Amino acid sequence: MRLLDDTPMDPEVAAALDAIDATLAGEAVDPQYAELAELALLLADDRPAVDPVFAHTLDERVAGRFGGAARGAEQERPSRRFTWSGWLAGGVALTTLAAAVVAVFVFLPGIDHAGSTSPSSSPASSGVSSAASSAVGSASSGNSASGAASESASPHRASSGAAASRAAAPAATSPSGQTPQPQSNGRKTIQSAQLNLATAPGRVDDVAQEAFNVIGQENGIVNRSSVTQTGSADGNAFMQLSVPSSALAPTMTKLSQLTYARVASRTDNSQDVNNQYVQAKRRLADAQALRTSLLKQLANAVTTEQVDSLKAQIRDAERSISSDESSLAALNRRIAYSNISLTIFAGAQPPVTPTHHGSGGFTLGKATHDAGRVLVVVAGVLLIGLAVLLPVAVIAGLAWWVGGMVTHRRRERALDLA
Amino acid sequence: MNRLPRRSEGVTGTVATPDQGAQQSSWERFEQLYRSSRDDVFAYVATLLGDRSTAEDVTELAFERAYRRRRTFDRRRGEERAWLFGIARNAALDELRRRKRHATLVVDPEDPSVDGPDDGAEVALARTMVRQALSTLPAREREIIALKFHAGLSNAELARVLGVSESNAGTLLYRTMEKLRKACNATA
Repeated sequence: MRLLDDTPMDPEVAAALDAIDATLAGEAVDPQYAELAELALLLADDRPAVDPVFAHTLDERVAGRFGGAARGAEQERPSRRFTWSGWLAGGVALTTLAAAVVAVFVFLPGIDHAGSTSPSSSPASSGVSSAASSAVGSASSGNSASGAASESASPHRASSGAAASRAAAPAATSPSGQTPQPQSNGRKTIQSAQLNLATAPGRVDDVAQEAFNVIGQENGIVNRSSVTQTGSADGNAFMQLSVPSSALAPTMTKLSQLTYARVASRTDNSQDVNNQYVQAKRRLADAQALRTSLLKQLANAVTTEQVDSLKAQIRDAERSISSDESSLAALNRRIAYSNISLTIFAGAQPPVTPTHHGSGGFTLGKATHDAGRVLVVVAGVLLIGLAVLLPVAVIAGLAWWVGGMVTHRRRERALDLA
Repeated sequence: MNRLPRRSEGVTGTVATPDQGAQQSSWERFEQLYRSSRDDVFAYVATLLGDRSTAEDVTELAFERAYRRRRTFDRRRGEERAWLFGIARNAALDELRRRKRHATLVVDPEDPSVDGPDDGAEVALARTMVRQALSTLPAREREIIALKFHAGLSNAELARVLGVSESNAGTLLYRTMEKLRKACNATA
């Protein structure tokens, strides 16, 4: 249809239209419109009448509110209607499903996707996981180092320089906090450990005090300590500790299980000093034997020159004995006491209080936490779904509008060609 | 502009109800619209398509579509009759498109029995002449005649169905009538 400008109607046209309407209404018209009126009456009288059978059928269909199968032209395109609605429903379902999957992966980093839950539900746990995976490599290297320690522990291939080191992240430690140690087999070893603990910004003091308490319980010594509490993420504490070597393992276990801290990293070292110890003892024994021999010779000396010479040798022997004794004592101290370097730092995420599944049970706090997580996930799903659906809706709306325009043009064209 | 008095004939069971406006349910409004427009819709579609059988199908389809969409009708956008004839027009044009695709133009042969037995020879002759003249008009102009004289739409309703202003609709109708009058004179 070619649209005309919306200009005011010509008076002659308006009069003719009024005459037509008057004719159809059965009213008299001006004689000048007689021909137009006659034509209007002929057209109105030639109106196609409804077949009574069809009228009855249609009345029944309407009375039945068009129930049952569609008829006529509507019946010709059921597959097309199904296609449109099917595609739309399928698209919406797929979009929602994709959004849900993305949301689960984005908003639940605490869940490892093999089905188990890591100890921490905070984003920091991903770092712990990576540390754990790196710890696997460390463990393997530690195993090889342990192998070297075992070789050095062997009586046939003893080496004073043999050392073992093992780094571990919390995921790699056993529940008791103990780590594998090379068997001493009665040999002399020096052990040490480094432990890094993470805690909440306001908990550095508490964790440091807990550590001091543990050292006290194990009869250890705090050689050096420095605690800086700022209440923010830059709070930290450093301690140089010594504990009896026999208490190293339980001490490390306790330090790894402090209430307000979690283990960021842990390293256990051991060094075989058996040969060094044996040689020191042998040197001391030799020096003592030499002094004994010199003392016997002194008792039998007859000249002044002999006496003076033996006395000088005895002094040298005693100096050597004294030196060897102090070396041996130092080595014994290092064997008897193990050093622990403890670092406590305030991490961005609060540590997870150790929970023991099965013993803690269901608490209101846990329920609140879980409910919060569920709400976050639901909100995430909705947000992602909205982000996906919005452009889809815009595209669908545009397609619908273009489709309507195309259909309109095709209909008008069909009328022109009819 | 006066409302045309002629409406559907032979509708049984029509109940005259007061205009209850918004209190009427959508079904009641639809039923009322159906009873007042059934014959008009059929007459319009039959004139446009030139095929009574197809016109019956299209008429039924138009009412079914109107029933399905009755809740989407917005009174602010026009009268219900104009809305209904818009649906019927789309259904009829879809049928024309389908015909074009299938290349099957079916037009009813003229039925002599359509002329009433009481018609005189002169009236019958004039009616035949008008039919012949009407058949020479393009489909767009035949549609205007069908909407005005067979469906009984007012000029305002005609304008809404065609999507033009009321003055444009009146001008189109006037031009078509003039063209038809000249065609009748030429035939005579």
